[in-house]
Amino acid sequence: MTRKSRRLWLVGGCLIGLGTATALTLSAFSSNIVFFMAPSQVHAHPPSADRTIRLGGMVVAGSVRQQKHGDTPTNQFDVTDGQDAVTVHYEGILPDLFREGQSVVAIGSVQADGSFRASEVLAKHDETYMPKEVAEALRRSGKWDPRYGKPPDAASWNSMTKTATSQDKAAPQHGS
Amino acid sequence: MTHLPYIVAAYGMTIGLAVILGTGAALRLRRARARLAAIERPSRAERAGGVSAP
Amino acid sequence: MNATPSLAARTGTFFHRYANPGRFLRLGARLQPWLTWPAIVLSVAGIVWGLFLSPADWQQGDSVRIMYVHVPAAWLASSGYMGLAVCSLLSLVWRHPLADLAAVEIGPVGASVTAICLATGSLWGKPMWGTWWVWDARLTSVLVLFFLYLGHIALIRAFDEPQRGYRAAAILGLAGAVDLPIIKFSVQWWNTLHQPDSITLTAAPTMSTDMLWPLLVCTIGFTFGFAAILVARLRAAVMESRVRTALAMRRGRTEAPGDAQDSGPDLSGAVA
Repeated sequence: MTRKSRRLWLVGGCLIGLGTATALTLSAFSSNIVFFMAPSQVHAHPPSADRTIRLGGMVVAGSVRQQKHGDTPTNQFDVTDGQDAVTVHYEGILPDLFREGQSVVAIGSVQADGSFRASEVLAKHDETYMPKEVAEALRRSGKWDPRYGKPPDAASWNSMTKTATSQDKAAPQHGS
Repeated sequence: MTHLPYIVAAYGMTIGLAVILGTGAALRLRRARARLAAIERPSRAERAGGVSAP
Repeated sequence: MNATPSLAARTGTFFHRYANPGRFLRLGARLQPWLTWPAIVLSVAGIVWGLFLSPADWQQGDSVRIMYVHVPAAWLASSGYMGLAVCSLLSLVWRHPLADLAAVEIGPVGASVTAICLATGSLWGKPMWGTWWVWDARLTSVLVLFFLYLGHIALIRAFDEPQRGYRAAAILGLAGAVDLPIIKFSVQWWNTLHQPDSITLTAAPTMSTDMLWPLLVCTIGFTFGFAAILVARLRAAVMESRVRTALAMRRGRTEAPGDAQDSGPDLSGAVA
């Protein structure tokens, strides 16, 4: 075995060892690396009221209540992961992207009554990017409502919006 | 455009850095080439036989 | 020499043949315009396309245009480090002199694009997410990448004797490569505030083609730019090294010929 071969095997061995160690560490600390807890996790293991957690999920359509007390608006909305929902109370201005059906992360703590008092609300947008016109056309086609979930695959937009334009011609007064 | 300050800052930063890195590399290359040429010229004759790399 | 050369020996011969410094200078000079001009043309085209001609996003509005600089920067930050890791391997196993010089030059450029990736991401996160920064897995692992670059830059220049710096930095460069899969898969393995990748090898892009095209043009343009800057810096570094060698020879301070391989990169090429 030449010196170069020995060095190659040595470096390879070290890399495999390091990779394994990293993988084990990451999987051991996996629960701490996740950025937020889902509502079902919060219900299954309710954290104590003095612990700050991040709660992530989708804003339930029709659950948003907003009131204005002086300058700061108070907001109440439900966050769901599809299995469970938690009611979030938040005083302050919500991010631009906040809407029904949007994924959000609320930072705060669980109260004694099971509701969630947030000190900060972040909007989490998904990986779909589409022009306004496409979103409008998809919505008009009736095949997608942004309040109830993620938009369909980009590959299907063309065929979907085509039916939307034909429907549009049939009922031109429908769009807003 | 919405969010104009953020967009201008992001593009300004990127273009600025690209220009700095690009001109920096070009100037460094020019200086290095000039110095190498200046240093190789006087002793070229004695190395005439050994130009090809081993 | 062995009758059947080992894998290490064969790979080493391959890299030495195609990366001999004298050959690199000739190749680099020929290659340079083919990197620089496409970089300028494609980057300008991509930026104009992304800023003025591509559509705004239905919910993010015009802030989605930050994507056209953020995503290429993120791609270059990771690929640049991949390049650094390959140079580190070539340096550690084959003691490749050009790989050492390349590692010195990749560091600052890679750190710069990583800084751009973090800064533009922050400028995008503030209006969209509502925060400049969060400690989620994706953002944190990219910040770690930035510190790996900074550590490499410092370490490779930290020793009076360059060879020791090259060795130490190569170990850091190679070990740091474990961060690359963590960055890539962080958005799949853990839930993060950062959205998953829109463009993957396994699935159709979840992006309108009107936005995908300017993004691709920007990414290709920036990649050419990264390569052009690296090749220019590396050519300059080889020339500077030759100048140093020539000056040292002239002053009569060179060591015995047998030590040349251990005492410094053998870049004298045509000069020696």
